[in-house]
Amino acid sequence: MLYFSELKGKHVKTEQGIRLGRLTDLVFLAAAQPTVTKLVVDGGHNHLYIIPIRYIIKLNAVITIMDSFSVEAIAHQELYLGKNLLDQQIIDIRGNKVVRVNDVALQDKPVLTIAGVDIGIIGVLRWFGVDETFGRILRLLGKTITSRFLSWTDIQPLELARGKVVLKKEEKKLSRLMPEDLADHLETMSIRNVTRVLSLMDEELAAEVIESLNITYQQNLFKEFTPERSAILVEHMNPDDAVDILLTLTERRRAAIITNLSQHKNTEISSLLSLSNTPIGGLITPEYFVANPEETAMRIRQRIQGETQDFSSLSYVYIVNAQKQLVGVSSLHELLLAPSDKPLYKFMNPSLVVLHLTTPKTTAIKRMLKYKLETLPVIDDNKHMLGIVTIDDLAESILDKI
Amino acid sequence: MKNTLVRFRNIIVIAMAVVGPGIITAFADNDAAGVATYSVSASIFGYRMLSILIPITIVLAITQEIGARIAIVAQKGLGDLIRERYGIRVSVLLFAILASVNFFVVVQNVSGIKAGLQLFGMPPVFLPIMTAILFFFIVLAKYPIIERFFFVLIGFYVVYIASAFLAKPDWGLAIRSLGIPQGDISPAFIYTSVAVLGTIVTGWGQFFINSYIKDKHVSVEHLAYSRWEIYIGAVITNIFSFFMMVAVAATLFVNRIHVADAASAALSIQPFAGEFAGTLFGLGLLAAGMLGAIIVPLATAYAFSEFFGYSGSLDETFRKSKLFYGLFLVQIAAATAIVLLPNINLFRITIAANFLNGLVLPVIFYFLWRIANSDSIMGTYKNTRLQNILLVSAGVVITIAAVFGGAGQIFGW
Repeated sequence: MLYFSELKGKHVKTEQGIRLGRLTDLVFLAAAQPTVTKLVVDGGHNHLYIIPIRYIIKLNAVITIMDSFSVEAIAHQELYLGKNLLDQQIIDIRGNKVVRVNDVALQDKPVLTIAGVDIGIIGVLRWFGVDETFGRILRLLGKTITSRFLSWTDIQPLELARGKVVLKKEEKKLSRLMPEDLADHLETMSIRNVTRVLSLMDEELAAEVIESLNITYQQNLFKEFTPERSAILVEHMNPDDAVDILLTLTERRRAAIITNLSQHKNTEISSLLSLSNTPIGGLITPEYFVANPEETAMRIRQRIQGETQDFSSLSYVYIVNAQKQLVGVSSLHELLLAPSDKPLYKFMNPSLVVLHLTTPKTTAIKRMLKYKLETLPVIDDNKHMLGIVTIDDLAESILDKI
Repeated sequence: MKNTLVRFRNIIVIAMAVVGPGIITAFADNDAAGVATYSVSASIFGYRMLSILIPITIVLAITQEIGARIAIVAQKGLGDLIRERYGIRVSVLLFAILASVNFFVVVQNVSGIKAGLQLFGMPPVFLPIMTAILFFFIVLAKYPIIERFFFVLIGFYVVYIASAFLAKPDWGLAIRSLGIPQGDISPAFIYTSVAVLGTIVTGWGQFFINSYIKDKHVSVEHLAYSRWEIYIGAVITNIFSFFMMVAVAATLFVNRIHVADAASAALSIQPFAGEFAGTLFGLGLLAAGMLGAIIVPLATAYAFSEFFGYSGSLDETFRKSKLFYGLFLVQIAAATAIVLLPNINLFRITIAANFLNGLVLPVIFYFLWRIANSDSIMGTYKNTRLQNILLVSAGVVITIAAVFGGAGQIFGW
């Protein structure tokens, strides 16, 4: 990982060794993928060159750019890293001040991108070039200090253009190091190093980190792991993601992993795998909540509190009859508004919007948008529920195709 | 008629909303260090010293107004703006200097409280109790209550008026001295005058009024009210300073008694103006010490949360602003510990504080000047030429005096 504090002030030269000036700022795209697009070079005497990143040849102690470089103006969606992001106040979603951006971390592979912002004391010390000395002194005292770091995924890019660094969450909900950060970081390393780093983590964190890696890395990692270790990781992973990875492996390897799974997980993964070659099948999540029509609102609220702690999200309660057929749905809002002793069948919504395995993805998303529903249930011909599809999974898979 | 009444009422409502920052900061500038400098200089130079009051009022009013205007127009604090425009290196250095200067001033104020307590026959044990009470009050009390407490402390400055009347001064001479110094104008007199100016116009004062106003969320439409509140605050503060100096001049100077600090001034007044006058003077010192011991560490804590982006204001709970209140606690606790040390030379601390203030003030004035003249921040509310001239010349004069004075003291010239 690179830091802006290390880049700023570097000399910029052309291939022929002509000195252009010093790097004073970077320009990046204020989007979900914050790619660095341009360098801002101060040539002295009020000459600023804004040079697209594609002209960079080498980025070492000195930045070397092509002789044939040209300058470009800053584009509409672009912002200055130093001017618009560095030193700015970070506020959380409620407007509470959190801290300021002390430094900006960049990853340089495959393209130069902002990985996140450094909000710790190390980020301050780095500007004075004493971060390592400080770390060494602390180690002598038997202490270590880790960098405090916010991932780009926690920042709302839209607000940046308005001059604000706003987080997507409340301050206290931010864990200090996100699995996604680690994933971003790991993707710059060789598979062997990644394996080594992952082996240092507990299974749960490792599984979470692997979920965030890109599919090529995931595939390569699972090729390296023994079936037993793979199975342990699959147990901890989101079933959706696990299936995606398993599908990239050879049939023999896949079977070896599945046999090592616990009984419960085995059935779940196998059924998901069998669904995966239908349009919707690959997107089905088994994370949903079912209830009987006679259960009261109060009882459901208690069950949700008790049973759904591991869920990544929950929007609806699905109601099935004694034959396990889907008969109704209730949103959490309706559930909260209902009097405690009212049974579900009295306030559930019996007219259902559903998906079948054969429903095309575009039809599915149109339905979701039309009825303003975040998830839709998938049912088979007997009206038995197979699982749910969430709008974000669906949108993502459609976007991937574009 | 009814219309005029309504308009009048509206003005009062707005005025009440903006009252506070100007008056409180101006009075806090008259903290224990201020009282000490005024007393010492008036005991040496007598009524002559009164001629410094009008320049002080002007410089104080002008510089405080600039800080307040920046906060109102930008809706950001000085620390915020410096960090965002000049980056982290400048911010860390400036904060380090500001925090150390302020710490010396905190020590002065805590020692003012100690001296005040001693005047009333209370042993030093009471000092840590007193500072602990102050700390818990600031942490636990709600913001409007704290502001009211500041006004109560300010109310104590009235004692100086009483002291002055009890001292039976030569009022005619006092009033005349306000305009023209009556007597010799020696280099020592000029140097002392500037030193007094430097004690009153401080770096922390700039940060404090700015943060305070920002916390109050005064809107640009009410800028004029805030401006007048600041001007009036500066004038009232210096009216009290006038009486304080008159009380000292009419007793100590007339009888050729030189004092080295405010507490001995309070003691020395007693034979001439009566025990009651001395007691009142001591009470004023105690209140000044308390005001300064709260506000100066708060100024550091405010600056810290602005420079480094932490949540921090008197409005917020301890849980939410731990660093803010923590920094406040560390300062008054350390200052209390230092003051309780035996053999501590407070005179040296005073000199060191003035010297450091002289060094940091021009730096802060530089940033004030840059920010207050920036089109992108201030728009149409930029500094006028007169404001710039006064700001720059006050900065230069205070610095030269502080550096020469401080160096003189250190090297024994």
